[in-house]
Amino acid sequence: MVQNSFKADPKYLKTYRISEDEYQMICKLLGREPEGLEWALFSALWSEHCSYKSSKVHLRKFYSKNDIVVDAEGENAGVIHLGQGEQVSFKMESHNHPSFISPHQGAATGVGGILRDIFTMGARPIALGNYLCFGEPKADRMSLIVDGVVRGIADYGNCVGVPMITGQTNFHSSYNGNVLVNAFALGYFGKEDQVYSSKAHGTGNYVVYVGAKTGKDGVHGASMASESFDEDSEDKKPTVQIGDPFYEKLLIEGCLEVMKLDLVEAIQDMGAAGLTSSSFEMSDGGGVGLHLHLDKVPARDSDITPEEILLSESQERMLLICKPENFAKISEVFDKWDLDAAVIGEVVDEKEITLFWKGEKQLKIDPSVLVENAPRYNRSYDEIPSKSVQDLKILDSDLKDGLNKIYSHIEGGSKNWIYQQYDQRVGARTAKDCSSSIGVVSLPETGRALSVVLGCRPYVMRMHPGLGGADAVIYPSLELAVKGFKSLAVTDCLNFGNPEKPELMSEFVAAVESMSEACKAIDAPVISGNVSLYNETLEKNVTSTPSTGIVGIKDDIQNIPSDKFQQNGDVAFVLRLPQVKTEGCYKEICGEQPKYSGELNNKELSEFVTGLKEIVLKNIITTSKVSGNFGLAFTLSKMCMSGMGLKVDNQEVFSSQGLFGESLYEVVLCVSKNQKEGFLQLASELKSKLNQLEIYELGTTGGSNLEINSQSVPVDHLFKEYNQSWEKNFEVLA
Amino acid sequence: MIGVVRFLGTNCDQDIWKAVESSGKTPSWLWYQDQFNYKDYESIIIPGGFSYGDYVRTGALAAKTPVMDSVREAAKYGVPIMGICNGFQILCESGLLPGVLVKNNNLRFIDKWVELKGENSCESWGGKMQSCNLPIAHGEGCFFTHEEELKQIEDQQQVWLRYKENPNGSLNDIAGVMNKEKNVAGLMPHPERALFDWMGGSDGAKFF
Repeated sequence: MVQNSFKADPKYLKTYRISEDEYQMICKLLGREPEGLEWALFSALWSEHCSYKSSKVHLRKFYSKNDIVVDAEGENAGVIHLGQGEQVSFKMESHNHPSFISPHQGAATGVGGILRDIFTMGARPIALGNYLCFGEPKADRMSLIVDGVVRGIADYGNCVGVPMITGQTNFHSSYNGNVLVNAFALGYFGKEDQVYSSKAHGTGNYVVYVGAKTGKDGVHGASMASESFDEDSEDKKPTVQIGDPFYEKLLIEGCLEVMKLDLVEAIQDMGAAGLTSSSFEMSDGGGVGLHLHLDKVPARDSDITPEEILLSESQERMLLICKPENFAKISEVFDKWDLDAAVIGEVVDEKEITLFWKGEKQLKIDPSVLVENAPRYNRSYDEIPSKSVQDLKILDSDLKDGLNKIYSHIEGGSKNWIYQQYDQRVGARTAKDCSSSIGVVSLPETGRALSVVLGCRPYVMRMHPGLGGADAVIYPSLELAVKGFKSLAVTDCLNFGNPEKPELMSEFVAAVESMSEACKAIDAPVISGNVSLYNETLEKNVTSTPSTGIVGIKDDIQNIPSDKFQQNGDVAFVLRLPQVKTEGCYKEICGEQPKYSGELNNKELSEFVTGLKEIVLKNIITTSKVSGNFGLAFTLSKMCMSGMGLKVDNQEVFSSQGLFGESLYEVVLCVSKNQKEGFLQLASELKSKLNQLEIYELGTTGGSNLEINSQSVPVDHLFKEYNQSWEKNFEVLA
Repeated sequence: MIGVVRFLGTNCDQDIWKAVESSGKTPSWLWYQDQFNYKDYESIIIPGGFSYGDYVRTGALAAKTPVMDSVREAAKYGVPIMGICNGFQILCESGLLPGVLVKNNNLRFIDKWVELKGENSCESWGGKMQSCNLPIAHGEGCFFTHEEELKQIEDQQQVWLRYKENPNGSLNDIAGVMNKEKNVAGLMPHPERALFDWMGGSDGAKFF
């Protein structure tokens, strides 16, 4: 136990969001009370956002390495080899708190931040994704928030010229007071490109500031993002940063150019906690010290204080280390791109950071005190027992009534209103856009197909966090498999509530552990990620939501099965590995909490994922889709959105789960009639490895109705209902 | 040699470079601060993007750069020039094409595939177009001008492409126009994003 021998001014503790216990730790580390700028430094670097103090002990459990992972520990984003000299870097990050306070800027700067994490590594960003969770359409401010977030993402991503290729949007009352905005970005390294590190080195090397000027925006942003919301959240607007995508575009070009010219020793973006976190992490990671002259930082306001310079989260800024002889060339490149490049300090031997203001020493501190000695909490949690029940009560309904109900709900309707605002094709590499179940781009140098899909179904998390965590990995990897892609690696964004509440910490641990096991089973390591805690408003927590981004590869960009029926007379099949049955999302929109029965078996699921991919790679599958939310009948109705119907003549496939109950997992695959025998052969080979596998022949595509046994709905009607859903729910946004 | 103009904020430059290369021709960069001799280029393309972040008005700042003085000179001597999306906006702001592009009538950015029909032939950029499918991606693609000029554009057969279903409120469904001499042309859709079937369609290839 730390003795409370130092007395803190409660006003300071509140301003700097430092707890009493942490204050005592600081005093013990320093051997005295913190002074002046030190308050600001501890506030920023010991915030949950920068230090991961509540989550780090569990994040270490992630399956995170295999032979394609490039060692980039402690760097801005993970990197994997794709073979043939190509590499990619990708990561996902949250901007939940800022987006709730100021939707447009919050979401826009989320995109800017994740892009900087990627090009800091030396990779050119070539794809974006977005995972959004909003409250109910009728919730207070929700139309404004949805509008602002979508515009923010669009304004930023469209202008920097990186295509949005995939996304997922969820709506639920638990997000009414705290929305989730998670941005994914992926960057590409060609054969000639090197991976850059953020670790400073080389005594006498310059510390160079590049990019936009520093202003007073976002001061204390990191510690704001590490707090729950209360009635005064609106007052936190000044802590939200302002972004300028035009500057970001210039910064991308400038940085990639100096990296290509091999002028850079180390580079780090100024993200959360701005100059403070970037400089301390570069110094600590490299085991060297830095002298920093804060008055040399290009500033927007002449009356900006040293503390504001340290904590400002002004956007579109980078810190880089270069040899003194290379500075002139660096300056020339940034000048060409109309950006500032200023020497603000130098690397020194002794591992201390010394801050100067107008020549006068302000502070000298060992960065490891702030970085390595940040608090680590093993917050209390319990194992969450299985909630599997014996008997499920699946709600059933007439086909048409059920589909109407789903389509008129915001969760079941088209989200095209959102995706249409994003540039999905800039770069001229997009093969599958946001309207598809997975995003696909062609790789610049080899033309192979690279896919991105985002995962985590909040309603499965609400059933059980262990089940939901595994589902956040398995479900997207199945989506990749049915398009012929091998899942390579995973990034995640762990959005949870208050970790000081044991029941929520228990959900966090259960989700992380089950995600990790699923990743290991499919051999897709977690290479990067982000944790966002304290997603609660007035004591009400969001659904624990560990969103994921999975990247996959396929050698050939042709022959990717469509999501929708393509040709008349195709035969549709269901392959089902029914490890878990659920009452499904349908029950949830009917106002009841769905239950589930059974447990997932990762080993068999891994076999299923691989087996499906192998079948698709035979190039006989014309259409494929994983049957997910709202069950098989709904999935089939969405597959009719090409305008082509399906006649199903099979009672058995619905006998155990009705039209709208769900199985984890099942997929729909179509083949042309003359490939039917060949397909059945492949399916039975898979069944020989997976005893439980069920194979159903549904019927034949064609006509203008979705006919399921004796019930029929016109495809036109489905199409209309699907597309009108958005305006029914968000009248003001139509 | 095909000149490809780059401004600060141009973001379809690499895409155009690839499209020109895949048509078997040789692209060459033209930087916004530099002037050039029009005789060195068989044609010039101004790619899309957000030059100068779309500040002031789309295309307005780019139109004032040194490279555009050379482009105006080239236009005068009949060099074929094509502006795509922001490139189209820049050509309008430079006075090389009639009209102006204002905010889409739904006041939002729109990304989607559209069907187009070729109205009048532009010999330098693919000749007579029948119907084609190309993607659009713009926030300010609504073609607008005063009545008199609109009539003139129609009468002088300067309409290059029309939308079959108007996505953005453009007058007379105009998606692309030419100057009177028909060596300068601009269009809002992106042909460079529709070169191969895997992109969703290959109708864009004939523009290059």
